[in-house]
Amino acid sequence: MISRRHFVAGMAGAGALAAGLGPQAAQAQTVDLLKMFIPAAPGGGWDQTGRSIEAVLRATGAVNGVQITNVPGAGGAVGLPQFLNNWRGQGNSLMVAGMVMVGSLIANKSPLKITQTVPIARLTGEFLALAVPTASPFKDAKDFVAALKADPTKVPVAGGSAGGSDHIMLGMIAKAAGVPAARVSYVAFAGGGPAMAALLGAQVAAGVSGYGEFAEQVKAGKLRVLAISADKRQDGIDAPTLKEQGIDVELFNWRGVFAPPGVSDADRAAMVAMISKMAATPQWAEVCKQRDWTQITLAGDAYKTFLDAEVTRIEGILKDLGLA
Amino acid sequence: MDGINGLITGFGVALTPMNLLWCLVGTTLGTAIGVLPGLGPALTIALLLPITFKVEPQAAFILFAGIYYGAMYGGSTTSILLNTPGESSSIVTSMEGNKMARNGRAGAALATAAIGSFVAGTIGTLGIAFLAPVVVDWALKFGPAEYFALMILAFTTVSAVLGSSAVRGLTALFFGIWLGLIGIDLQTGQARFTFGVQELFDGINVIVVAVGLFAVGETLYNAATYKNSETKITPLKGSLLMTKLEWKRSIGPWIRGTLFGFPIGAMPAGGAEIPTFLSYYTEKKLTKYPEEFGTTGAIEGVAGPEAANNASAAGVLVPMLTLGLPTSATAAIMLSAFQSYGINPGPLLLQTQPALVWGLIASLFIGNVMLLVLNLPLIGLWVKMLQIPAPLLYAGILVFATIGTYGISQSYIDLILLYVVGIIGYLMRRYDFPTAPVIIGMILGPLAEQNFRQAMTISAGDWTVFFTRPLSLTIIVIAVSLVIVPKIYSMAKESQRRQSLAR
Amino acid sequence: MTGDGGSNQRGAADAAPATGDLLVALGVVGLAAVVLWQAWVIPVSPIYAKVGPTLVPIMAGLGLLVFGAALVVSALRGGWQTKDEKAITPDRLALGWVLGGLALNVLTIGPLGFTLASVLLFVCVTRGFGSRQLLRDAAIGGAFALVAYLGFAKTLNINIGAGLVENGIEWLIATVRGR
Repeated sequence: MISRRHFVAGMAGAGALAAGLGPQAAQAQTVDLLKMFIPAAPGGGWDQTGRSIEAVLRATGAVNGVQITNVPGAGGAVGLPQFLNNWRGQGNSLMVAGMVMVGSLIANKSPLKITQTVPIARLTGEFLALAVPTASPFKDAKDFVAALKADPTKVPVAGGSAGGSDHIMLGMIAKAAGVPAARVSYVAFAGGGPAMAALLGAQVAAGVSGYGEFAEQVKAGKLRVLAISADKRQDGIDAPTLKEQGIDVELFNWRGVFAPPGVSDADRAAMVAMISKMAATPQWAEVCKQRDWTQITLAGDAYKTFLDAEVTRIEGILKDLGLA
Repeated sequence: MDGINGLITGFGVALTPMNLLWCLVGTTLGTAIGVLPGLGPALTIALLLPITFKVEPQAAFILFAGIYYGAMYGGSTTSILLNTPGESSSIVTSMEGNKMARNGRAGAALATAAIGSFVAGTIGTLGIAFLAPVVVDWALKFGPAEYFALMILAFTTVSAVLGSSAVRGLTALFFGIWLGLIGIDLQTGQARFTFGVQELFDGINVIVVAVGLFAVGETLYNAATYKNSETKITPLKGSLLMTKLEWKRSIGPWIRGTLFGFPIGAMPAGGAEIPTFLSYYTEKKLTKYPEEFGTTGAIEGVAGPEAANNASAAGVLVPMLTLGLPTSATAAIMLSAFQSYGINPGPLLLQTQPALVWGLIASLFIGNVMLLVLNLPLIGLWVKMLQIPAPLLYAGILVFATIGTYGISQSYIDLILLYVVGIIGYLMRRYDFPTAPVIIGMILGPLAEQNFRQAMTISAGDWTVFFTRPLSLTIIVIAVSLVIVPKIYSMAKESQRRQSLAR
Repeated sequence: MTGDGGSNQRGAADAAPATGDLLVALGVVGLAAVVLWQAWVIPVSPIYAKVGPTLVPIMAGLGLLVFGAALVVSALRGGWQTKDEKAITPDRLALGWVLGGLALNVLTIGPLGFTLASVLLFVCVTRGFGSRQLLRDAAIGGAFALVAYLGFAKTLNINIGAGLVENGIEWLIATVRGR
């Protein structure tokens, strides 16, 4: 039980930490007004990422002001055209987006591509997990894959909307196991709550979601995580990776920031520097820890290379799923 | 910690002067945003999330809880006065509520809504405190097959709003179902009826349609008939608040509405709209004053649905607090606020954060009392609004509808949709089509479809699943008997009458 | 679908009583045709789903078709409206003012900002309802819109559509505070 005094003390401590960093941050070039474009509604993952970036940049004195614009809709497909056209050439502006946008642009058959923006940095990722109710006969991912091979229609799996990251992950698992991706029995639910309820109520055989959503259920003994999609074992998580179990799948639901097309090289370099610096601060590490985000910082040209490869990879799996 | 001890702890947390102030701020802000169509509690709380960096968690959640309950209260006010529902769960309220308001009983409608909300909110919050684990176990038994059965049951309620002609009522229903299907198909990711417009990919907001049909459509209709018609608004007839008879007529609906709202709200895919439909239907069937429904406005049709939507708002918190499951947009945002305090919401939340959870529950009780105290005296003021001359009132309604639609999303598509639906609403009114079935179809159609398809995928194509699962079968039997029994009953009555005539 | 609604309404206003019912009924049938055609072209992906994305859309289209046909029959038999209802002629001028206000609002809300566009809408609607006090109405509409705008901008930090007036006020507030 957290007492109030304890909490107040904690908040005061955080304040002191931010104050202590003040002089150091002042050495960096300060941006007067950073404009942030979030192609999603307030409250979602991209919005939280954007607002966390804002909080850290402000606390470290890297920016004086931040203006946030939300344009929600269709996994970012409504916002992207606005960012590409209306924000063209504006330095000091950033869009927050991620893997979900790559997927939804392809699945929605949008003529636009995320690669039309200027990639600045990849910041965080959430790996996904495959989980079953505790009473399930599946003890590990191998059991699951064996059942999938035997008859995919007998293994309904719950997750978010069709073509989203959960579906992509299941498709990758099926493909790695030699089952045609489009043959898997995927039950799409509107939102994490209803999908989790179906899993907890054992209405489905398994569920796919970001690991963070399962963590508390696992702690309470209601669910068992069969595998996670990370590249290696994670601290504090008692679950093997898919790769360890012979299923060659690695997937991060990553999020990053992008500049609009047409910005000058100097503006781009300044943004890359500012964001890289932010990603290295202890405040950012603290935010990521609170939110269960894994830091996977990758900036500038390396990010661009990654992005190109990722678009190709996602397009491939969505084709296998019959969605591209 | 059991319920009683928990509540004592909770009140200890919530009753500090600072937290009471947060509660007051929250309920006031909640009422204000609940009034506006398009701006709901989810978006407001999301915009206020940065506050979590500045205040302690108890205060933040007390504020959020106040906004959440306050929005439910506020939503009914504009539904009743202006026929402009602020939230999808108060659409049903506007059907009888606005008719009452036009016939001089706005005060009574607002009062029964406020008191009903209070009663339902209080019972619902007691439910959270004492019944949550039981309700959750039961709610998890509902799979897609059961939800589909529930949708079928809810669909039968459309018979209460078909109006004078089944053909025109069902035309409106199918129109609504079609509107609901627009957008990306959840199960297969295919765009349906979007005509390539990206803004339609996430579907059409039911609030835009409700405000368009009700408020814009009616304004157009009144403009067209204003000069010749005698149907002027009567601001007040009789006492300001409720008469003795109106109290008597409200109590049953409040309780029944609560009994629909709380359990269905607690179901992970239940939602707040379905209990309001079920309540409306029930009250229309049970009332001793059926002639008032759809004409001068029946108080039962306000009391029941309002209680149902507030009880369901309490119900939504059950899976959130017991399992960490967000089953509505607002719950999802509140859970992400937990995270920014480093608290991981889940089944263990009550054990690890009892002060926070019980403080939240206690503040729901306090918020409910505050809302009642805030709202009842305001009724006199609200009723005066109906004395505004018609030109200004209708112009105000249209500007108001525009704020809610364009102001929040800044989407031309939404604004154009609002006005086009308004024109359709005008035509429907002029040619005697009921508009309520459009809303029912739009909400239930896609839900029924998705649950049907989820159930069929899970069962690998075996359609008997709806009849072999006991819960699902039970609900379907109830639905079918709701349709058939009244027919048999009236046939029996008819033959009895003939027999007695023959004698 | 937008076109359908518009033409019906014009047609209904011009036509003799039973023709109005018929046009509405034909509008429903036309909508049904569009729904069925669009349902037909929904791409069906090879995803495993026992019930595809087209079943319910086709049912919705068929429902509209069946009831639309029933309405056509009813309209041909003299329509479903009572004599009194048929006798009402809509006040086309008033309707025109309100519809014009709506159209004007869509056109101006972007370039002129929320407040000015709202004033235009407000004045058109009050004019439609027979008010002649143009300046008073404009003042009331403007005050209402400004209060709403500032309420949002200041308490929730939501910009509900800034234009000339809004930016001017922001500038004024900033200058006063600056002193």
